[in-house]
Parts: sequence; structure tokens; C-alpha cells
Amino acid sequence: MTSTQNDNQYKTALIGWSLPSIEAADELGRPFVIVGPPHCEQYAEKYDLPFIAWDFDHYKKHYSMEDVWEQSEELYQLLKEENTGLAVPLFEDTVEWAAAVNGRIKEDPKVFRHSLLFRHKGKMKRRALLGGLKVGVFEEANNKEEVKQFFRRVNDAMLKAGEEEQDPVHVKAFDKAGDVGHRIIRTEADIDALEDEAFPNLVESHLDGVEVSCEVFVHNGTIQFLNITEYIVFGYSMMAPPSPEIEKQRKKIRGAVQALIRAFDIQYGLIHPEFFIDEEGKISFIEVAARIPGGNIFDLIKKTYDFNPFQAHILCSDPNTSEEELQSFFPKERKSKGHAGSLMVYPRVKTIEKLHVPEELEEHPGFDRHTMFTPAQRKVPEMEGFGNPQGVVFFHHDNHDHVREPLRDYVDFDFYI
Amino acid sequence: MAVQMNTGGEEETLKQAFETLNQAAPYAKDMYQTHFFQTAKKMAEKEKGMQQLYEYAPRFEEAGVFEGGPWEEPSKLQPALVNGSLRADGVESIVALLSELRMISLAQQKHTHPEVSASDAKKYLNEVMANNLDFIFPEETDETDKQEQQGKETERAQNLFALMVDELSLQSISSTLIDEIKRLMVQRPIMTDRVRLMIRKAEQLLHEDVDEQDRKAIETFHHAISTVTKRAKESQSVNEYRSSLQDLDEQALSGEASAFGQSMRDTGLVSPYHVALVRYLNRNADIKTMQEALGLSSKGKSHLKEHFETVQELIKVSIHLPTRQSLYGLARMLERGVLSQPPVLPGLRRLIDLDIKQDVRKTLMEASDSEQEGLTAGDVLTAGVISVLGQPLGIGQGLNPTCQSARALSLWSIHDPGYLLELVPRAARDGDIDMTFEGQTIHSKDLPGGLAPELHKELDPVSLVLVPHLDRIYADMVRRVQFRGDDPHKWVNPAFYGDWIAKAFSKVFQHNTQNVIDYQGFVRLFYATHHRDYNEGHEMIYPNPVGICVTTVYGNFLGFHAITIQRIAYDPDDTYRVYFYNPNNDSSQNWGQGIEPSVRGHGEKEGESSLPFHEFVSRLYAFHYNPYEQGDSFAVEKEVVEKIEQLARESWGQKFQWV
Repeated sequence: MTSTQNDNQYKTALIGWSLPSIEAADELGRPFVIVGPPHCEQYAEKYDLPFIAWDFDHYKKHYSMEDVWEQSEELYQLLKEENTGLAVPLFEDTVEWAAAVNGRIKEDPKVFRHSLLFRHKGKMKRRALLGGLKVGVFEEANNKEEVKQFFRRVNDAMLKAGEEEQDPVHVKAFDKAGDVGHRIIRTEADIDALEDEAFPNLVESHLDGVEVSCEVFVHNGTIQFLNITEYIVFGYSMMAPPSPEIEKQRKKIRGAVQALIRAFDIQYGLIHPEFFIDEEGKISFIEVAARIPGGNIFDLIKKTYDFNPFQAHILCSDPNTSEEELQSFFPKERKSKGHAGSLMVYPRVKTIEKLHVPEELEEHPGFDRHTMFTPAQRKVPEMEGFGNPQGVVFFHHDNHDHVREPLRDYVDFDFYI
Repeated sequence: MAVQMNTGGEEETLKQAFETLNQAAPYAKDMYQTHFFQTAKKMAEKEKGMQQLYEYAPRFEEAGVFEGGPWEEPSKLQPALVNGSLRADGVESIVALLSELRMISLAQQKHTHPEVSASDAKKYLNEVMANNLDFIFPEETDETDKQEQQGKETERAQNLFALMVDELSLQSISSTLIDEIKRLMVQRPIMTDRVRLMIRKAEQLLHEDVDEQDRKAIETFHHAISTVTKRAKESQSVNEYRSSLQDLDEQALSGEASAFGQSMRDTGLVSPYHVALVRYLNRNADIKTMQEALGLSSKGKSHLKEHFETVQELIKVSIHLPTRQSLYGLARMLERGVLSQPPVLPGLRRLIDLDIKQDVRKTLMEASDSEQEGLTAGDVLTAGVISVLGQPLGIGQGLNPTCQSARALSLWSIHDPGYLLELVPRAARDGDIDMTFEGQTIHSKDLPGGLAPELHKELDPVSLVLVPHLDRIYADMVRRVQFRGDDPHKWVNPAFYGDWIAKAFSKVFQHNTQNVIDYQGFVRLFYATHHRDYNEGHEMIYPNPVGICVTTVYGNFLGFHAITIQRIAYDPDDTYRVYFYNPNNDSSQNWGQGIEPSVRGHGEKEGESSLPFHEFVSRLYAFHYNPYEQGDSFAVEKEVVEKIEQLARESWGQKFQWV
């Protein structure tokens, strides 16, 4: 394994509990400390992992995101005692905490405020627009009436006012990861159905096209590695690297990512932006996160590019990582080992009777493996957004069709009956 | 660019999955276990794959296959739980299977473990095999539906046992199996379904290379549940046998009767042909032939004579093919002389015409497989009562955590059958029973919860009817006194079981803290109240419900359990022993440290298990005693007390704080 030039042996604080990231830090031979929720303490103790319990949920409940800076003093002191030189966020909810710690280390509150750009979709869109990225029309809405106004204005501009089929708009929560709080508005009745807790939020016009995400490892403001993930069925299945049609546009996508990095003034770490590419190849910015992506995308990268993206995340987050080290770490973007895909499985039943994995699937040339067992807990919890999948099916093949096709075909299959 | 996927097939996948897991740091095993379990699952579906998996078994432990899960410590595993785990759909069945492979490799000395020796592992596996005969001898089934549903788990388990039998050989279990059958039957349980299944499975061993003695034993049991006599064997069916009886003269009938009577007496099992014979005799024969058919002792014979008409009525009502085991209960009931107790005859007569509640009726019919046999729920219930009155120590709790209720039924059957005959109709007809606790009446019908909905239905009819009520009342009594600052059983037991239970109570655990306090004082008190040499010669008269710490074969604490001391006496070899009733009907478990309750050979009566006095005390944690029949506790020798303390400390005591 690569080892870092970490001469003064400061520690890296992993903000959030994630075994793959812990393993990555360990394998890099870096001193580290985990800042995780209290319920993980026992596990950490059992395996002698350096651990500081921090009740993120408590702060989330009682303070706003902007208050995190003030509340982070105690955590900073704890980490200072541990000789922490760097904090790396692992989850959406810990982005601002890691930034607050880094801001205090550098005695620069701006570092913290910068992180809020990734955590508030309103600020994020404005910043993107200011930086010259192509975005949809958007506004911040405080109530249903404002959403209606927006919906009408958009359709008025599109000359669709009063027509049966109107252009949809999207309502998104400011600060939720993934698809939580996302609603598609097609009629005014959909607006009436919104809950009061959904406000304030972001409303934006609909963009068409193929959706991709990028996993971008940035160091010193330059792209060290760009992975492109194609969303096959949004929220359910994805493939990396993408189909050749998208791959052909890698240069253009890289350009968009570079524009994004400039617009947001990103120096170090990992970003996970999402874009639409329309039929004419025009790229629109959807949103960007500064954390490890969901959907097992890192597993897909690991499978096809033969490097550990969890390690890459930590290396790129550290300004002290040397250029040479990074160069030897990352492979060539165009030299992938086939295509890998993941299909998230969500039970559609209330109570799981049993698991059904069809033989045709297991015998499919693209099939790699799946993670499903009949769960001990048979009752399926109700979740907002996509929630946590009850299993993942992985595909891998050098022919992208053998991966893409089952990713599309099995989305509607009931694995749990 | 051509990429070859899945190179090397399943074997290579297994290897990779194993190596990845093996190389992971201990804290990270969790991330790689699932994938290894998935590949193992696939492999285990084929016999060859199972063999390949087994090759890795010696390294499972070091690779972290069991890291962080309930299978981590092989010394804590229970043979009795293996069957359930292997059948469980989900990851549990895979880990359980891998754990058994590890155990086989330990038994074969391909792998070593500080706490489980090769002979420990062999012993464990022998028990596992004896408990999993359905996997070793899969039953032929045409029900493809069922197979498909059960399919993969069963298939994998069968492959596992095929490998186990290959590695450990079948003969080694043939004696275990026969021993298991004998061991279970010597206790004369009321419920015999499991033993019958084992006997049917053992029949398949007749085609294997087993020794002559085992073969004879299997044949004896096999005949006992099928065709005992030549005549029965020659008949095509039970019905044909029944018709053939009409041609027999008195002497021939007597011959049939003695043969069946003897077989039942010897094995405790009743053949369906026996039912046909007895029902025929009941209409056509004299008392003498009936005495033979029931295999009665001289006491039983005189009681049959005295109550012949009642018995005829009882046979007519209750002895049918589905209820045939009650014929054994009937014989034992006569020998116990229960019918001579005044409330019993009217109590039984009331039962025959009882108006049973709809839901109870349904439960009884379903549980006894009596639908379409022309029986009524009343017939089933009467048969059940006969069994309970004849075999008070044959009552079992089945797969339910209701040892207290089973203990109560057994105690009442012995000492107060009249009371039992009050409770049964109350529950079956009124859906309610009541008891008085410290001046207040408790009605079971008013109490919520209880185990009724989840009650596992493989139970005798009386338990099926009464246990849901008893369990609720017991729980309510405990609830009422739970904050009193001492163990609730102190007050609950005498109120629940009856005034036979002594009021004074002692326990090794400090209430609330669960710390062990004054263990030596506890031991001395038990000696001074229960051991003849120290309690001024007082004999035990009524059973004593006590609490024990059950331990595993390795002596580890497994849980608390309720049993009843029946009597304390010298055995034929002059060892002073405690004879007790264990409602789990599997009394001869191995509790570690060489402590193995026995069920035969040491003066045990049917259904009793026993241990030498001091070994029993080492597992005891609570008992009732009569302070007026207490000797000098200081008279107990120091060495005896210390020896017991050592046994306790080194077994269940490790789980607790000693202060």
C-alpha cells in the first residue's frame, strides 16, 4: 500500500463512521481518529480503534447548520488534544462539521462557510449560476403559494399555461442527501399535497437528458481523477464507467467539472456533482456534494479501476500529499477493466416472506454477485426517499450492454416477496 | 479490451472471497463476511462444493468467518439449536453450516481450539447428528411445492450431514440414536411424536452395517409402534386385523393381548393394532384378557377389576387411533390407583359430556390430528386427562418457555387429581380459571397477554387447554409482588402450586443486584433442610419446586430453569441422590464438569432424572424449605461445601459477581 509523507504524524479525523474509510486510513498507514455517533463506541472499543463519540443527531435536532461553527469548539479541542491536522467528512451530515474543524485548525471561519455551499441547495445553485454554469431556473420557496407562482411563471414562459400537460418543476429540500425531500410537481394539486414541513425549499425547472454523476478527486484545485457514473434508472441502478456514447463526451464533462471547481473554489478533497446531458450534448449542473457518493459507486470504481477510492478520498483531502504520490496512485481514466454496475433493491412488500433471486439473473453473463439474504427483520420499515436498500446486485462485464441491460430490466423485479 | 470475468468459476470465487476476508483487519471483517457467506451458500448447494468448503474449515476461525457474531465461540454452541438454525431462511443457516464444518474439522483434528478438544467436538457432533436425523435420512416426499419452498436450506443441510456422516461414520450415531430413543422413552413422555419419528428413521439403519445389539433394539422399537404380533404383521391393515380377531378363540385372543400388553409395558409405546385389539376386547372379552392387554401389575389388575365398567366407558370414549398413547396412560393410571380417590370418578364423568368452547375444540382437534377420524374434542380431552393422571412426570413443556405451568400440572396430577379435574373443565368450558393470591381472586380471563397465541401446539391436550391460563396467572402473581425486595417466587410458588410448598425460601442471588451472596450459607441450609444426615432425618413428603442454573456441556451458564425435586434417597449403589422432574422432557442433558443427570440405572422411576446430592446442589440457585424441619447447618463438613462452591464458581458462577 502507498504510504503518505506524513512526517509530523498529525492525525486525520474521519468525521462519521464508515468501515471502508477506517480501513482505508489504516491501510495508508496514517494515524487517524474516528469521530462517530455514540452507538459505535462499543465496536471501536472492541477493536481498539481510536474513537471520539460525538452525538451529531443531538446537534441536528437542536441547532441549525449555521450554528455548527460555534458548537464545534468542544470537538475541536478534543481533536486538538489528539494532534489532529485534518478532518475528512464521510457523510452529507458531517460535511459542515469537518469544515468547522478544518476552519478552526486553520483559524479561518471561511472554510466552514464555504462548506455550507454544499449543504444548502439554494446557496449552491446561486453560486453555480454566478460561476457561469448552466442551471435551470430556480427560486427559494417559503410556502405553497410561492411554489404555485413559480410553477405558473415557468409554464407561462414556456407558453404552456392552461394546457393539459404542463412542464413539471421540482421541489427539493435544502439540506437532505440523495432523494429525500424531492418531489416532482406536475399539477397544482401536487403542490397542495406538499406537507408544511417541506418548507422552505428549493423549486427549480425541469431539465431533460441523461443523468450522470462524477466522482472527482481534487488536489490543489486540479482534477486528479474523474470517474463518470451513468444513472441507468435514476435512484435504482448505475454503471461506471458509462456507455460509450457518454464516454465520448468525457472531455466536455471534464470541462464542466473544471468550471464547477473554479466556480466553487474547490481545492482539496472529493466532490460528487450530478449533471444532465441533453440530446445536443449540452451539460446542465444539477447539484454537488462534498462526500462519498451513495449507490455503491465507490465499489464500482474499485472494481473497474483497481484503486481504492476510499484511500483516494483521504489522500486528496490532505494538502500535504505530494504530487508524485498522487500520480502513482491513480490509474489512467480510460483504462478501465470493463464496466461495473449496481442495482439497488428495495422491497415493495410490507412484510418479507422470502427472497427470490431468479436463476436467469445469476446466470446472466454480466452478473457478478449480490448481497441479499432473507432478513431476520421481516417487516419492512417505511422510509422517505429511497431509504436504505435491502440489498445490492452487482454486475461486471467488458461489454457494457451486459451490464446496462440487466440494470434496466431488473429494476421492476420483486426480489423480496 | 477483453476482460475475462469470473475466471475459474465458483471455486475461484470462493477462494477470492475467503482470502479477502482472511486478509482484512479484525474490525473490517464485517464488510467481507457477507460476500463470503454468499459464495459459501452457493457452494453448499452441491455435495462437491460442500467438500471444497470443508477444506477451508480449519482456517475459518483465523480468517474471521465468525468474528463478531453469535457463532464466535464454539464452546458456547448448543447442539439442540443446530436444527433450527440450519432451517432458518437467511444468513443464519449459512453461518450455522460453516460453524458445523469447523466443528467437524475440530473433531478430525484438522484444526485445534483452546476450549474445544477433538473429543468435545465429537461429542457435540454426535448429539447434533442424533438431533438431525431428518437431514441424515431425508424423508421421501412427493410434495414438490413444499420442497421448493424448503428447498435450498434443506438441500444444504443434507449435504452438510452427508459430509458429517462420511467423516464421522454412521455407526457412531447408530448407538447414539438408539440410546437417544431409549433415553427418551425410559422417561415415558406423554408426547411421543418425536420418538416415533426417530424410530422410523432408525429403521433405515437396518440396511446399514450396525452391530447386532443395535439391530435388535431398533427392531424392538419398530415393532412396538407397528405390528407387534405375527397376526398383525400378516394383516394388510389395522382394519383387516380387527376383523380377523373375530375368528380367534379365547386362548388365541389372550395370546395377542399379552403380546401387545408386554410390548407396551416394555417400551411405553402403543401400536395402532393394539387400539383395534383393545376396542374389540372392550366389547367382547372378559376382565382377565383386558388385564393382559393392558400389561397390568397386580395392583393395576385389582383396580381394573374394581372399576371395570368405568374403564370400559373410558376406553370407548377416549382410546382411538389418534389418541392411542393414552392406552399406556390408562394402564399407568390404574396402577397408580387414582380412580379410588373420591373426586376422580365424578370428575372424569363430567369431562365426558363437557360442553367445550369453540376455540378450545378447534385447538384440540388440530393438535391431535383428530379431524376426519370421527372423534370429538371431548374424546381427545378425556384421553389427555387419562395420560396426565397416568404419567404425571411425562408432562412436558414442549417448545414453550412454560416450565412453571408444566410443573404445576405434574404436581397436581400426583397430589391432587381432584383439583386438576376441576381446572380442566373450567378452562375448556368457561374459558377461565381462578386462583386466590393473598386474599384476592385472580381470573385468567381478565388477564392480557400470556403465551396462548404463540403457544407451540405440540403439547398434550391438558397442557393445551390449561397452560395459557396458568401462565397468565403465574405472570400476574409475579407482577403483583415484583417490587417487594425479595424474589417473587417466595410468595408466588405456595399460592400457585398449593399449600404443599413450604413457605420459607432461600436463593443464592442478592435480589436486585444478581450478585451471588453467602453461597456457603445457602449450601449449608439446603443440606440442613434436605439431606437426611443433617436435617434430623426428616423425609421429604411433597415435591419442592426449585430453580436451577442450567449449564452447557462445557459448564457455561445457559439460563435459569424451573424443575421439581420429587424425592431424595439412596440409590441401589448407596449413593445419596436427588430425584427430580424436569418439564423439558429431555432430562439427561450434559451440564459439564462431568455432571450428567441420568434417567435410568440409578433407581429412577419413570420420568425422573437424578444426580448425586452434591452435584445437584452445585446447580441449584433457589429452593423452598420448612424451617421447622431444619437441622444444624454448621454440621455440614467444610470440604463438602467448598467442593460444591468450586463446582458452582467454575461453571455458571463465572457469569456472576460473587460478593
